[in-house]
Amino acid sequence: MMLGSKTTGSFRLKAGKIWIKSIPYVFIMPFGILFLLFFIAPIMYAFYSSLFVVKHSGLGLSAPVTVFNGLFNLNQAFHDPLFYQSLGRMLLFGVVQVPIMLGLALFFALLLDSVTIRLKNLFRMAFFVPYAIPGVIAALLWGYLYNPQLSPIVQFFHAIGWKSFDFLSQHAVLWSMANIVTWEWTGYNMIIIYSALQAIPHELYEAAKIDGSNGFNIARYIKIPLVAPAIVLSGLFSIIGTLQIFNEPSTLQYITNSITSSYTPNLYAYTAAFVTNQYNYAAALAVLLAIATFIFSFGLLRITTRQTGE
Amino acid sequence: MAKPTRSRWFTKLALATIAILSIALQACGSSSQSSSGPVNLTFWSWVPNIQKSVDLFNSTHSNIHVTLNSVTAGNNGTYAKMLTALKAGNAPDLGQIEYQFLPTFESVGGLVDLSQYGASSLQSDFVPWTWKQVTVGNAVYAIPQDSGPEAMFYRKDLFTKYNLPVPTTWAQFQQDAVALHTADPSAYITDFPPKDAGWFIGLIWQAGGRWFRINGQSWNINVNDTASMQVASYWQNMLSNNLVKTDPDFSTAWYNDLQTGTVATWLTAVWGANTIMSNAPSTSGDWAVAPMPQWTAGQQVYGNWGGSTTVVFKDSKYPQQAAEFAQWLNTNSQSVQDMVQGAQLYPALQSALSSSYINQPSAFYGNQNIYQVFQTISGNVDVNFQWGPTMNQVFQDMSDSFSNVTNGQGTLNSALNSLQSSTVTYMQQQGFSVNGG
Repeated sequence: MMLGSKTTGSFRLKAGKIWIKSIPYVFIMPFGILFLLFFIAPIMYAFYSSLFVVKHSGLGLSAPVTVFNGLFNLNQAFHDPLFYQSLGRMLLFGVVQVPIMLGLALFFALLLDSVTIRLKNLFRMAFFVPYAIPGVIAALLWGYLYNPQLSPIVQFFHAIGWKSFDFLSQHAVLWSMANIVTWEWTGYNMIIIYSALQAIPHELYEAAKIDGSNGFNIARYIKIPLVAPAIVLSGLFSIIGTLQIFNEPSTLQYITNSITSSYTPNLYAYTAAFVTNQYNYAAALAVLLAIATFIFSFGLLRITTRQTGE
Repeated sequence: MAKPTRSRWFTKLALATIAILSIALQACGSSSQSSSGPVNLTFWSWVPNIQKSVDLFNSTHSNIHVTLNSVTAGNNGTYAKMLTALKAGNAPDLGQIEYQFLPTFESVGGLVDLSQYGASSLQSDFVPWTWKQVTVGNAVYAIPQDSGPEAMFYRKDLFTKYNLPVPTTWAQFQQDAVALHTADPSAYITDFPPKDAGWFIGLIWQAGGRWFRINGQSWNINVNDTASMQVASYWQNMLSNNLVKTDPDFSTAWYNDLQTGTVATWLTAVWGANTIMSNAPSTSGDWAVAPMPQWTAGQQVYGNWGGSTTVVFKDSKYPQQAAEFAQWLNTNSQSVQDMVQGAQLYPALQSALSSSYINQPSAFYGNQNIYQVFQTISGNVDVNFQWGPTMNQVFQDMSDSFSNVTNGQGTLNSALNSLQSSTVTYMQQQGFSVNGG
């Protein structure tokens, strides 16, 4: 390309610079457009819907009108004890279940990584398989094992004299659900951590061995610190997943009286929208849940980044 | 250089998107157009084998063609779909709706008043209480299809084994409950399904509870009236004394109890006959049907659980033809017979109840003619029971609070008291004119 006079040259350089600067945006455009269309837009629409209420009049035999009512729905949802109970239930669930699941995932990942066992691929697959089973099917399968009349496990406990044993009782059902979630997701998290382990250079292990480290110390001082970011990532996903639990309670509610329609935040929003036809209130619940999820997941990110000193 | 290319690429993309969208929109819009030939109607229903009646209609009516859309049962998502479609203005011409949800659909202005198409003349053809359910004043919002008069299905073998009298009053029913549970601690008189609001409301209906009343231009709400509180106290007593099971009905555990004789009765509607037959085949010959126990000895008052209607939605372009189909479907004797035989439903059409294809002994029930019992009950179902316009919310609140009761929180009576206030509040919020209490 030939440059003409100096002025046109600098102009062309400038134009080129702008072009170069805009290249990253061009590359993220496909993602950006989809992100706007399928993520930001629905949230904005949910927020918009939450600003309205449906109003009947008199006996209500004519079509109702949808009227603007400002933050009424959001305010009501913000003060809804059922919403907080469901949120609190899921936090309790998360505090207990997420560490257990990640602990198990880390344990299995280290086991697969350290021991040169035969059939390693088979074990890796076996741990991962539950993740491949759809959540509803998993809940159905476990539902069968929890069912007092049909479950061999429950019948065993009843046979040895523990008559009140019941997976689905009011106090047990949350942990029965935690068991299903752990069963389903441990393998998935294990794969994430295992992949991180695979990326650690083997020279580090050799150096540690020369310094006299045994397998346990290698795991404790080299592997775990180096896969910490992967664990944080799994933790983040798990917290988001916990707040959005839906399949398990919505399947189990048909076999036990312990699960009410507002058992988890998502089930509550679903019931409001599709069972009791309160679309606008459901939208308000959805917006609040999105905000709560945002706070908890970013809260965790900030805490962990501060600790690792980044 | 680069920028023009990008914007051209954009233009192309935008044009392509618009083109695809417009094709899709055209495809959507053109489905029900027909300038000549028969009028096309769509019908959403979940009744098994109802296609046979639809085919018969199409073959005998050259000017109307009805297309059946098989959907899942109302509460499994179809009502939500119908309400959404009404909101969007593209509901089908015809639909299946249960009695208890008619006011809900009326209150969104979703149903066509069929009296303008001559439906009022059909009144005497139908069982009285079903007709009362589909009318508001002079308006006819649906054509009754089937009904669910309630009776007591009981294990004759167990009643004989433990020498229990078949109860005719609720007091006797409770004595039997005690006697049975004492004789066999693993056996119960019946199951109390806390999540099934429809089941409990059937009992309220029989006892004379009147939760909703239309009073001029406003609703009177009396969820905790005297009759309802009496029913609540009765079952609370049964629960507190551990005389009933509390499994959710239609769950695997519950079916298991039907098979094994863990429960000696099921208080249910006529359609329950088929549920037992197909889910507990090994108990053939063990069951019998008796009228529901009474609150006052010697009375004959019954309740209802379930049954549905055919409606015409407001979005129909051909309401007259749709009304014709709705009326034909539920009054044509061949159509009704096909539905009875194809879906085991119990028709609301009076003349069908005494027909030979219904009124006959069934081998499963030890050759008892159970439909004779139901025909009597059907004629004695209380006519003045009225559903409200927010039954979805009422059912949900009830099912949640009754579940909490079986988990030891509160009593059925306190649950009804809180249901009264939550229903009034909810209806007021929605703008209905309400008088509570």
